[in-house]
Amino acid sequence: MQGNTINYEELIPGYEFPPTSYELSASLVSKYLQAVNSAGDGFVPPLAITACVIATMADSFSLPPGTVAIHASQELEFFKLVPIGATIECHTRVAQKITRGKMSMLILELDIFDQGKEKVQSGKTTIALTT
Amino acid sequence: MLTEIQEGKTFNPVVKYITQEKINLYAEASGDFNPIHVDESFAAKTPFGGTIAHGMLNLAYVSEMMTSAFGQNWLSGGKLRAKFKEAARPGDTVTINGKIDCVEQKDDVSYADCSFECRNQKGEVIVAGEAIVKLSSDKR
Repeated sequence: MQGNTINYEELIPGYEFPPTSYELSASLVSKYLQAVNSAGDGFVPPLAITACVIATMADSFSLPPGTVAIHASQELEFFKLVPIGATIECHTRVAQKITRGKMSMLILELDIFDQGKEKVQSGKTTIALTT
Repeated sequence: MLTEIQEGKTFNPVVKYITQEKINLYAEASGDFNPIHVDESFAAKTPFGGTIAHGMLNLAYVSEMMTSAFGQNWLSGGKLRAKFKEAARPGDTVTINGKIDCVEQKDDVSYADCSFECRNQKGEVIVAGEAIVKLSSDKR
């Protein structure tokens, strides 16, 4: 996990976060399956990948004091199954920032690739920020 | 897995009871320790008045339903769009339902266009969305 590396104010449309890599270990998958109460099927659940990516992304910028961040919407597309133990790389960028009164929306786009540079997943995350 | 892919076909619902323990487990598994999910004293001072489940936890239950219906076609050819409309809280029972709205053909490939929603025990919609599943030829 990264520390807070950038302020929310500095996130502008087009900003690209440094790519992040994750090893999808058996223990990580097992923890995830336990948390979602699922038996699993020998592959990394696609939403386990998304969840880790979103958590790391959210941890990589700091919010204004007193702000509550809520996941407002999610788009996802799955292209390929990822075997347990694989390493993936995630590329994330700021697509949009919208402010309406006390509410702000941060829209992030993500693309996730396997070690062979094949896309395994893409998505769009909307985070609502309210004070 | 569904034996018939046809318009109007409903999926087996998924029912889950939300607890703070499950939320904490999910936080540990995902690395998402946003205090709105895990810090009861922080969450009590927010407009939510208490902790709420991660939206992605509810979406995991949606994916469980879709996987049960479509198997690998969902896991490697699925697409979804979901809105988190209300919070799921510890003590809530959430039920995820979904159905096939239509089956369409594009460039010799069949797609199942589906809709889903997740409601709490009061009938409030927590998550609503659409999903598209690319079907392999043997499912047509």
